[in-house]
Amino acid sequence: MIHEIKTSDKPKRTIPLPGCFDLSLYVFKHDRQCCLGYYIQCWQRVAQTNLNHSSVLCQVHGGSFQSWTTASASESTRLSSRLNSRFLVFFCRMLRESYPFVEDSFSRFPSQSNIYGLCQAGEQELLAATLKGKVVCFRYQELQQKTRPVAKEVQFTYIPVDAEIVSIDAFNKSPPNKGLVVGITFIKDSGDKATPFLNIYCDYEPGSEFNLDSIAQSCLNLELQFTPFQLYHAEVQFDEGGSETVFLLSGHDQRIHLYKENASLHQFEEQPVERLFPELQQLPSNVLWLDMLSIAGGRRLSAFGCQNGCVGLALVTQTGREVLQSWRVQFDSPISTVLLFPLTSHCSGEKKEATEGYNLLVTSTIEMAVVYRDVQDCGLSRSMCLPESDQWDAVLCALVIDLDFDGQKEVLLGTYGQELLCYKFQAAGSGLGSQIELQWRRSFKSPVLSVIYLDLTGDGLRELAVLTLKGLHILQHSLTVSADLVLERLLQRVSALTAVLELETDKAQDAEEKDAPAQKQEFSAQGSSD
Amino acid sequence: MRSLNYVQRVSLDFTGTLFPHAICLGDADNDTLNELVVGDTSGKLLVYKNDDSKPWMTRTCVGMLTCVAVGDVCNRGKNLVVAVGAEGWFHLFDLTAAAAGKCDSSSQHEFLSADDQKPFFTQHIPANTKVILISDIDGDGRCELVVGYTDRVVRAFRWEEPSEGTDLGSGQLVLLKKWLLEGQVDSLSVNPGPEGLPELMVSQPGCGYAILLCSWTQQDSSSSGEDGPATPGSEGPSRDVVLHLTTGRIHNKNVSTHLIGSISKGSKEESSKCGLFALCTLDGTLKLMDSSQQLLWSVQVDHQLFALQKLDVTGDGREEVVACAWDGQTYIIDHNRTVVRFQFDENVNAFCAGQYTCKEGKNSPCLVYVSFSHKIHIYWKVELERMESTNLLKVLEEKAEFKSHLKALGVDAEDAAAVRTLVADLLYGGSQT
Repeated sequence: MIHEIKTSDKPKRTIPLPGCFDLSLYVFKHDRQCCLGYYIQCWQRVAQTNLNHSSVLCQVHGGSFQSWTTASASESTRLSSRLNSRFLVFFCRMLRESYPFVEDSFSRFPSQSNIYGLCQAGEQELLAATLKGKVVCFRYQELQQKTRPVAKEVQFTYIPVDAEIVSIDAFNKSPPNKGLVVGITFIKDSGDKATPFLNIYCDYEPGSEFNLDSIAQSCLNLELQFTPFQLYHAEVQFDEGGSETVFLLSGHDQRIHLYKENASLHQFEEQPVERLFPELQQLPSNVLWLDMLSIAGGRRLSAFGCQNGCVGLALVTQTGREVLQSWRVQFDSPISTVLLFPLTSHCSGEKKEATEGYNLLVTSTIEMAVVYRDVQDCGLSRSMCLPESDQWDAVLCALVIDLDFDGQKEVLLGTYGQELLCYKFQAAGSGLGSQIELQWRRSFKSPVLSVIYLDLTGDGLRELAVLTLKGLHILQHSLTVSADLVLERLLQRVSALTAVLELETDKAQDAEEKDAPAQKQEFSAQGSSD
Repeated sequence: MRSLNYVQRVSLDFTGTLFPHAICLGDADNDTLNELVVGDTSGKLLVYKNDDSKPWMTRTCVGMLTCVAVGDVCNRGKNLVVAVGAEGWFHLFDLTAAAAGKCDSSSQHEFLSADDQKPFFTQHIPANTKVILISDIDGDGRCELVVGYTDRVVRAFRWEEPSEGTDLGSGQLVLLKKWLLEGQVDSLSVNPGPEGLPELMVSQPGCGYAILLCSWTQQDSSSSGEDGPATPGSEGPSRDVVLHLTTGRIHNKNVSTHLIGSISKGSKEESSKCGLFALCTLDGTLKLMDSSQQLLWSVQVDHQLFALQKLDVTGDGREEVVACAWDGQTYIIDHNRTVVRFQFDENVNAFCAGQYTCKEGKNSPCLVYVSFSHKIHIYWKVELERMESTNLLKVLEEKAEFKSHLKALGVDAEDAAAVRTLVADLLYGGSQT
């Protein structure tokens, strides 16, 4: 961790921080207090700080990095007199607590949404459903050389005025078919009897398969016999090759219903779920959340979380539809999210090749969130809790993404207590002992319902879309910091490439141009693993 | 229109009620860090510091406080706090000494004697005050005190002392001039005129404004020339008022109007010439103009704007116009008419924006809302990287080395898809999810 140690009142120690900057610590006298300063080399900026264990505040804004808090003089002196490594780790962590986002836009919705209310539609668009039957499409529009956030209502047909939307989902059809399919479940309450429906929107007209406005006009209306919950989609693969994406809808009848496209009739119809998803039969309770992940060897992991606190996990062969293994675990409260994600394990000290493991994140409404490691091998035996995740009311949504561009994934949790929490896996020694720690949290004005990380602006850098009870927040990475990072990595890549090219020309004059792309590929792989 | 949601805020306790001009941000104790000064209708003057929800200092004044200000009103190179009541009592407080005293006895609770609580100077000036301004209005480099009244009168005062270097208490305010206007004066401001000299501007109903001439400067230059600006009181005042009505669709010519001048343009040589000023009306018109009466932009919103401030939220030296509506809708507009909106969730009693030291021990741009629920909310993290939404590619394109790097890698800079893939690969590596 400690990179370089210097003495005296000048920089004390230099610590490499994740991302693109190094840090030097030094102690200086300021008024009647002893202060600890740090110097971040990347931004050539000196900042001063008084340290205190209890209340530490950090933030990154516009490329400037600041940390200030008050501490008693004696405490700072004691701290600075023995800058041990444990303290530096703490200090380092404190600095990394920085919240990397800048809010770019907020769209207020006319009525509230729910945890099933946000989905990605196409490459750069989001669909958000609100309770009172309105669906808002959010995207960035290029107009006169300017980028503008646009939240526009999409008039999906056959949604009556008295309808209350439960869930929304969208997917692109699996190739060779093309087109966007949007599914919306709602309950029509005309007073005497509430009737649930599933509307599936899909346009077969060539040229308008991805046009949201025309898709919204072609509707298939299915009446449901159960109260719908999450609307999910999954890709199924067939023995004869080819694949197809289907809708999976969980209901209050303790079953999951499958809706598959009938290609000849150009419409979707319900089919028995057991045939394609044998793991989704005989469920213990109503499923609140479902997640699936295709893994190596033509297999599939599928996980579901139930209202009675049961979590089920199954390993299934994609084509043979055979349940290889299945696990169950019981929680004390309803499960709000289950999320399967791959994670490159850090215990690859001796080997260059990092092994990829699959993990399951389970969030429940009362208990702490739990990550089960390497589920494909260990099932639900290796669990680790996310500390403090139960401190801000129920966790409603979760996401696992690489937020700080260091190649390692972080866990994001959104809570009903209006907080967004970010956890980072701490590689402490072996992979077994690795821990997960809260890195930062950010407050919102209303409960956080759903989060999606996608490239809305079309620049390669993704944005975090956060759906709260009141509307949709788009959080963008600080562009100044990201641009510096891109330039730095670009420079690394360019210098690596020129070094290779020089070698090449030395070795053999007849090196053909056809080798160049291959070389570039190789070096891009190396560059990204840095 | 870009809309944002600021979250980081501190809430201060404030149980009284106040007039919309009885709040300001300024360096009350001369420590280079700004404090929040609030005066309530019972005559209490409260000074808040940092993120402490309790007032740092409380003083009692006579009457209902209608306006407070922080400035070097005595021209001694030191900020004083001015509090003026509706009944016409003018109070001066020197909080620098109080701050030093407080520091020395930091551990024990201070029990100020009644004497310390009192203002060190009070004077009775004409009653029915509404708004005050401490600024140099005649270009002599010394500050004057300008007071706007509810009876459409504006008076300018100067602090005068019998001789230099004497005790502060021996001076007093001397009336320089009285102007009589046609409409209500909702705000006073100073803006550099076309010649670069400061001009005193007041807002007039119906999105209008008037420039008040400081005739005493003319008297100095042409003292014995003509018969001068006549007898004060009768004809004089109206002649020294140059009324300007701005064009555009004004639905109601009596609509309440606010004005703010001396909006910083960023670069120095530019700001020395024509000053920028902004106007807003209760029916939702916002205008940015320069002192040569040229309209830079006009924005129409459907909210009742009742407060107008300037604040540099992007940190580029150019100040943005900040307008707040009764229902909490706040507009931040830059010189190119780029709008950022923020909805404060409550009705607003009073609003101000400026530099305040809330956290981190340094001044930062803040938005201050006084609600009707006994709280003052300060949003202390309102800085924006930029006013407009943009993307990473546009930021990168401005950097020369980006193009050369792309060329070295053989990527066509014009091919947006290829550049995008490259950027995504650089940031996220092969681990796409």
